[in-house]
Amino acid sequence: MAFFTISCFIFFVPSVDGAAIYKAQCVRCHGPSGEGTKQYKPRLEGDRSIAQLADVIHKTMPENAPGSLSAEQSQAVASYVHDAFYSRIARERNRPVRVELARLTTRQYRNVLADLVGSFRGTPGWTDQRGLKAEYFKNRRYRPMDRVIQRTDSQILLDFGVESPAPGKIEAHEFSARWNGSILADQTGEYEIVIRTEHAARLWLNDLKRPLIDAWVKSGNDTEYRATIFLVAGRLYSVRLEYSKAKQGVDDSAKTKGKEQPKVKSSIALLWKPPGRSQEAIPSANLLPINVPESYICSTSFPPDDRSYGWERGTTVSKEWDQAATDAALEAAAAIAERADELAGVKENDQERPRKYQLFSQAFAERAFRRPLNAEEKKRIERQLAVDADPVIGLKRVVLLVLKSPQFLYREVGNSRNDYDVAARLSFALWDSLPDAALLAAASAGKLSTRESIALQAERMLGDPRGRTKLRTFLLTWLKADQPLDLSRDAKKFPGFDSALVADMRSSLEYFLDDVVWSDTSDYRQLLLSDQVYVTGRMAKYFGVGSRVENGWAKAKLDDGKRSGVLTHPYLLAGFSHSTESSPIHRGVFLARSLLGVSLKAPPEAVAPLAPDLHPSLTTRERVTMQTRPANCMTCHEIINPLGFTLEHFDAVGRYRSEDHAKPVNAAGWYQARDGKTVKVNGSQELAAFVADSPEAHAAFAEQMFHHLVQQSIRAYGPDTLERLRKSFTANRYHIRRLAIEAATVAALGPPTKTTP
Amino acid sequence: MVRTTDRRDFIRELGLGAASLPFLGNLPGLGFANQARRKQRLVVIFSPNGVVPNAFWPTEQGSDFKLPKSLEPLEPFRKQTLVLNGVCDRVRGDGDAHMRGIGCLLTGVELYPGNIQGGSHTPAGWASGVSIDQEIKSFLQKETATRTRFGSLEFGVQVPDRADTWTRLSYAGPNKPITPINDPYQMFAKLYGKAKDRELLASVLDDVKDDLKKVSGAVGVEDRRLLDEHATFVREMEKELRAAAGDTVKRVIPELPASVKNENDNIPKLSKMQIDLMVNSFVNDFGRVATLQYTNSVGMARMRWLGVTEGHHELSHEPDSNEKAQDKLTRINHWFCEQIAYLAKKLADTPEPGGSGSLLDNTTIVWTNELGKGNSHTLDNIPFVLVGGGLNFKMGRSLKLPRVPHNRLLLSLAHGFGHSIKQFGNRDFCGAGPLVLS
Repeated sequence: MAFFTISCFIFFVPSVDGAAIYKAQCVRCHGPSGEGTKQYKPRLEGDRSIAQLADVIHKTMPENAPGSLSAEQSQAVASYVHDAFYSRIARERNRPVRVELARLTTRQYRNVLADLVGSFRGTPGWTDQRGLKAEYFKNRRYRPMDRVIQRTDSQILLDFGVESPAPGKIEAHEFSARWNGSILADQTGEYEIVIRTEHAARLWLNDLKRPLIDAWVKSGNDTEYRATIFLVAGRLYSVRLEYSKAKQGVDDSAKTKGKEQPKVKSSIALLWKPPGRSQEAIPSANLLPINVPESYICSTSFPPDDRSYGWERGTTVSKEWDQAATDAALEAAAAIAERADELAGVKENDQERPRKYQLFSQAFAERAFRRPLNAEEKKRIERQLAVDADPVIGLKRVVLLVLKSPQFLYREVGNSRNDYDVAARLSFALWDSLPDAALLAAASAGKLSTRESIALQAERMLGDPRGRTKLRTFLLTWLKADQPLDLSRDAKKFPGFDSALVADMRSSLEYFLDDVVWSDTSDYRQLLLSDQVYVTGRMAKYFGVGSRVENGWAKAKLDDGKRSGVLTHPYLLAGFSHSTESSPIHRGVFLARSLLGVSLKAPPEAVAPLAPDLHPSLTTRERVTMQTRPANCMTCHEIINPLGFTLEHFDAVGRYRSEDHAKPVNAAGWYQARDGKTVKVNGSQELAAFVADSPEAHAAFAEQMFHHLVQQSIRAYGPDTLERLRKSFTANRYHIRRLAIEAATVAALGPPTKTTP
Repeated sequence: MVRTTDRRDFIRELGLGAASLPFLGNLPGLGFANQARRKQRLVVIFSPNGVVPNAFWPTEQGSDFKLPKSLEPLEPFRKQTLVLNGVCDRVRGDGDAHMRGIGCLLTGVELYPGNIQGGSHTPAGWASGVSIDQEIKSFLQKETATRTRFGSLEFGVQVPDRADTWTRLSYAGPNKPITPINDPYQMFAKLYGKAKDRELLASVLDDVKDDLKKVSGAVGVEDRRLLDEHATFVREMEKELRAAAGDTVKRVIPELPASVKNENDNIPKLSKMQIDLMVNSFVNDFGRVATLQYTNSVGMARMRWLGVTEGHHELSHEPDSNEKAQDKLTRINHWFCEQIAYLAKKLADTPEPGGSGSLLDNTTIVWTNELGKGNSHTLDNIPFVLVGGGLNFKMGRSLKLPRVPHNRLLLSLAHGFGHSIKQFGNRDFCGAGPLVLS
């Protein structure tokens, strides 16, 4: 590895007064404390080192006469600005942060409701097995005596042709099948579920009483049946699919017995179109052969949460949010009322019904408030229950009251830190949801008072589907791919780059992330250094891997191992590209912000990239360099471009190339680290090696993880918390799951109590 | 109990004096904006398994006719009744007579080939076209003047909980059967759920405000701002609820008896509840088209309340010579006719809101069946009994028509609304155009 550093020799010359220069030359645009002015609004703040800052000032400031300050003068101004208001520490000193009162985010609200109702139905299990349990029957009845085959089908994408699924045991002209298990949703939103068959089929999803798709009547030429359902990520939903190649209605099999039967084709496929993704057969990875209780789905739409800090926060309220919370509470009240007896565990004519409703109501409020109720609160529930003669109406009122109460809607009320608070913080950090029964039991037994006991719970909770989903969502957020990236490409330039391939590429990235996180070492560096890519047959063909991939997925070395983890994953490379050309700027911004934690301001004005057609002789690198040459661009592009250039060996669809616009690719780049040293990196692999070992990158990863999990500023937990987290990350050999556990534990213990200095 | 408010009361409560009355005709936002043209409504009621012809069809033709046993309950409305004998479902194709009987009844078009095997004939699927009630609904919903909240409502009484050709009457289009709502409480929630939700919400707001105060007291100054903001939303909601409650009083919300289970023996109660809801939906102008489907084609209701213990369908297979069975079938149809008469009476007793006359003056009820006669499975002489003045037909008559295809009657219904389509369903049966009934 060729790391080449340029040393910066810095001499402090006491006679140069940074504050004075700032006052004389900078205040008129930046304001006395860097707060900005009318003509130049952005606040002067960031995380560049003094050396980096000095360099920028020296080259680009003051705006009307760049280069007029000497190196020493620039250095002095940089020191002054950095210490006075620019740096994190300065900002912390000036504006101390705190753990803020926050309402539940939309994500949390949906999870909480599902778990709140679900807690009265038993815990869904988990298994590492995939596929659905299949049963095949020799006629149109689903009786055990007619069952001929039992097995697991990894996907429902079955084509029997005109044959029998089991010749000799089942006749080709009449048979039925049934699949049972559950579907794991990776994303929250509207899913389109699709069944394709020439025959009769019925699908139940989540609610096993009412079919979501009833295509038991085959009519005309219809062979595709669709329905929409809202699903919440990280949850399992029971599924049952029935299929019948047989006439329905009146059984006339006796009449046709012994007669020659026409040969008729038969097939069945179960597909979905997840939010923002293309339609595909439901992947085996999302099918589990276990049954789970029905899940409560809150499908009310909420206004988007604030993400201005880079993570979702519930620190604002609006009329629209209040209305949505009301609608969601009414939706839940109606659903709970409909299933009241089931949830309260009582029969309709039971004498005990009122008492059971009362017990249910109390438990509901306790779980919703994440703590035991006091006497007054219990009384209030009794009062609401008693108001109407119909106990179901009373129950609805309780549900509504609980779900509209700020005790339910807000987190981090005051500075309370008893074991119940610890439990709630932990579960919100790892699950975005309520504590489960085990965690509440630990809280009530006073077993959440030590760091070790909390970490033990955290470890258990991380393995739950909700924990897995939260970790995966974090990694995708870190990679700026939590929302599907736009991979629509110029079809002429990239024939064969279609939506099916894009869907595979997305899944390939997700499988890779899961694979690394859930391996024993759970090593962050593997995310950057691995030369393996998950591929389907389609991807193998497109990316020119010789090996054949039959069904499903295989790991492959693309381009003789010139790949390095997420940095060169085709989905991200293509995602950070334009429709015909690679985009070193998008890639550079991604590398700087996500991987190295550099905060970059938005460009001062929106700029369209130079059209390649107008500069046919230039490489992408040359075009970008030309366009960003002005000094006011270079304040940021000086960092962005040389990072992005290191990935120039990969085109707009993520394929390896050695030439760009008929010239050899130049993938040389550099990065000025915060210690002032400039690191030269040539190509993606050198960059990956640098990022894997860079303390800046480790801190950036830890900080983003903390913010994603906890949704509060890490600085509110003490000025050295981030540094401690980074150090433990290093000590634990960059173990991602360990880091999540540490972060959640820090959050669960809460901010340090205020001590007078 | 239903509280109706006539237009005068309504305007008085708005505080508008008599002087302003003449100018209110087309005032938008008063709820009667679309009254310039008379409201017209259509109700199609389905009962299954054919009828006993000699107890159903009047022997006389013209305006001087007697109502036979099955139709006796309509006596008070004889002058508003039109009995159409000789209308035949001529659609053939896949499916047995019961399947085609219900599937082609309102669509006038063949069933698709499919996988549902009937008692005879070839298997079939859904109807291959839209049904006339939905055609008329779409026509009315297109115009602002006739558009209503739902357009149409599909009621059911004890329709079995399975979707197949025998259980579906209305079609939104080819292969698009519409599931009727069997449960009056579910229909109530669809029609009035929002108003009930507001009541519920209002009942917990005081407790919510208490909690807000408590939480506010436990947080620091900076965080309190968020809660203060939240508190203003709660206060606004309280105001809005109060305003809405004022409006609700002027709406007509029916009260249903509590906890009536959806089961065979409750059919009389369920029928009454559904009819009450339907009439109320008209008062509130939620829709101009409704269907009400009793059980299904091949329906198996056991009318124990009439002393009939056998299932309706098995009885309908009994030969003409079985007099006991024919008597029971006549009683069954008499009971269905009582439901029509109950609806007619409710409509007649309710003044047309914002218009003149009664609801019945502006509504046409069409009572029909999937078969002419149960034991022969004939699709000739399908029962069509019309009541009410919604479509400007000349009522108070018994007509015997010369084996006309029922598509022509479906066309007449559309034309009655001013929807002058030339064909409906299978065009071969639309030849001579709509039946002239006015």
